[in-house]
Amino acid sequence: MKRALAIVGSNPMSLLGISLISIVMLSALLADFIAPFPSHRGTVVDFTNFNQPPHWPNVMGTDLVGRDLLSRIMYAYRISLLLGAVVLALAVPVGVTVGLMAGYLGGWVQSVLMRTTDVFLSIPPLVLAMSIMGVLEPTLLNGMMAVTVMWWPWYSRLVCNITLAEREEGYVVAAEVIGASKFHIMFREILPNCFPAILTKMTLDLGFVILIASSLSFLGLGVQPPTPDLGSMVAEGANYLPDSWWLTVFPGLAILVAVFGFNLLGDTLREILGTDQ
Amino acid sequence: MSAAILEINDLRLSFKGHAGQTDVLHGISLKIAPEERVGLVGESGSGKSVTARAVLGLIQSLGSARISGDIMFDGENLASIPPSRRDGLLGTRISMIFQDPTSSLNPVFQIGAQFHEVLKRVEPGISFKETRSRVNSILSKVSIPEPERVLKSFPFQLSGGMNQRVMIAMALVNLPSLLIADEPGSALDVTVQDQTLRLMRKLVDERRTSVLFISHNLGVVREFTERIYVIYRGRIVEEGLTEAIFREPRHPYTRALMAAVPRITRSGIPEVEDDPELFQAPREVHEVGGVS
Repeated sequence: MKRALAIVGSNPMSLLGISLISIVMLSALLADFIAPFPSHRGTVVDFTNFNQPPHWPNVMGTDLVGRDLLSRIMYAYRISLLLGAVVLALAVPVGVTVGLMAGYLGGWVQSVLMRTTDVFLSIPPLVLAMSIMGVLEPTLLNGMMAVTVMWWPWYSRLVCNITLAEREEGYVVAAEVIGASKFHIMFREILPNCFPAILTKMTLDLGFVILIASSLSFLGLGVQPPTPDLGSMVAEGANYLPDSWWLTVFPGLAILVAVFGFNLLGDTLREILGTDQ
Repeated sequence: MSAAILEINDLRLSFKGHAGQTDVLHGISLKIAPEERVGLVGESGSGKSVTARAVLGLIQSLGSARISGDIMFDGENLASIPPSRRDGLLGTRISMIFQDPTSSLNPVFQIGAQFHEVLKRVEPGISFKETRSRVNSILSKVSIPEPERVLKSFPFQLSGGMNQRVMIAMALVNLPSLLIADEPGSALDVTVQDQTLRLMRKLVDERRTSVLFISHNLGVVREFTERIYVIYRGRIVEEGLTEAIFREPRHPYTRALMAAVPRITRSGIPEVEDDPELFQAPREVHEVGGVS
């Protein structure tokens, strides 16, 4: 713990990452209390004040129907973080289990599982998600599913590689020798040794999930209006560039802040946990 | 002599590879009586460790291994009983110590938790408090001064010698009837090795455990064991009481092995004749004592 604080304290980028993520988290959690116009998350129309550049009290300007951009960005963070959390909560257990089984059991199990993940990894992620969303209804739930389907193979590959190295370690042989079951060895002996790497990857991925979800809704395949979403806000504003620049720039910056913050946080974790992949 | 605790009869093992079959063991037979300490000595690649792994059933699970022969443990044939039954014996009645103590312990758990796992093999419902008192007593027997501190330590926080003692305690805590020690402490320096072997010897004597001691280090084997099997290229070439073999090695390979030990005399590394043909001479048995 002391070492962790020392690493964070000595590295300005870690501090920056932690502050950015704190801002993102706080604005998402406390949006109801700190957003200047909480009602603007939904269908509010204010034609007296539409498409205005940044001014007081709309510090980031207003959109095409007069809603406050700052408030909408705060609520959009909620959706993005929720999506990231759900996707990782589904993808990580699946991917990790597949990776552990492939790495530890070896043989044909490994061939089947890892070749299956290779199939998933060989399809460009955005194309896979787009085709899933194209077949299904473009809703938040389906968006989460689509991103989950393309996300778990990365964890399989990561965990499989660690497991392949760990299963040769003495403690695994020692556990086999005292008659421990395969399940016990996979989940109780090897898995804890994978945690640092998994945790680091999860933090990094949170940013990328937000990015890919934004890309999907930029293409109109993600969260549907009127629910605020960073990707669709950028898409909407892109038609009015460069005159109404604030429509695109502020949601874009919001994406950047979240992704950048999670990346820095991931790097910090990597340093603290000593995992260099 | 009473019935043997471990009896291996004509154990043959070969591995099937792309280039055909490679024979590894050509009919190993050995016996260990209750409370007896038996050494299995040979050079690298002679088949010592593979024999131990076959006893533990680690080889049988490899798809490429072809194995035949009987491995009788206390009246049960380990080669033919179902794997679940065999797993039940491992860790409770048979246990093993490895060469490198530090890597044999899982780096992410405290020593206490790992002891708890081992004790649960015999008593599934054992509490952590009970574990602690049991472990404290056995750790003090292997001369670990502050057992409480060690229980809360992670393996990498302890020295190699400490870890080795922890491993010995862990292997013996369930009062197994047979301990297989595969080059214990070869990864440690000589003084630490000597000290831990003394402790191990005291402990197995006290607990009446039989030991199969696998090593290439003749000095250690001489101190630790009562009887020796010398193994060369998958065959037992000489067997007999430790003292008898050291006094009068009969097989050419045993003689060469003994001559190969460097002495602290500045006479340089000894020249050893290496004559595979001579070493294939038939097995020499010292008849005095031993299991018959």
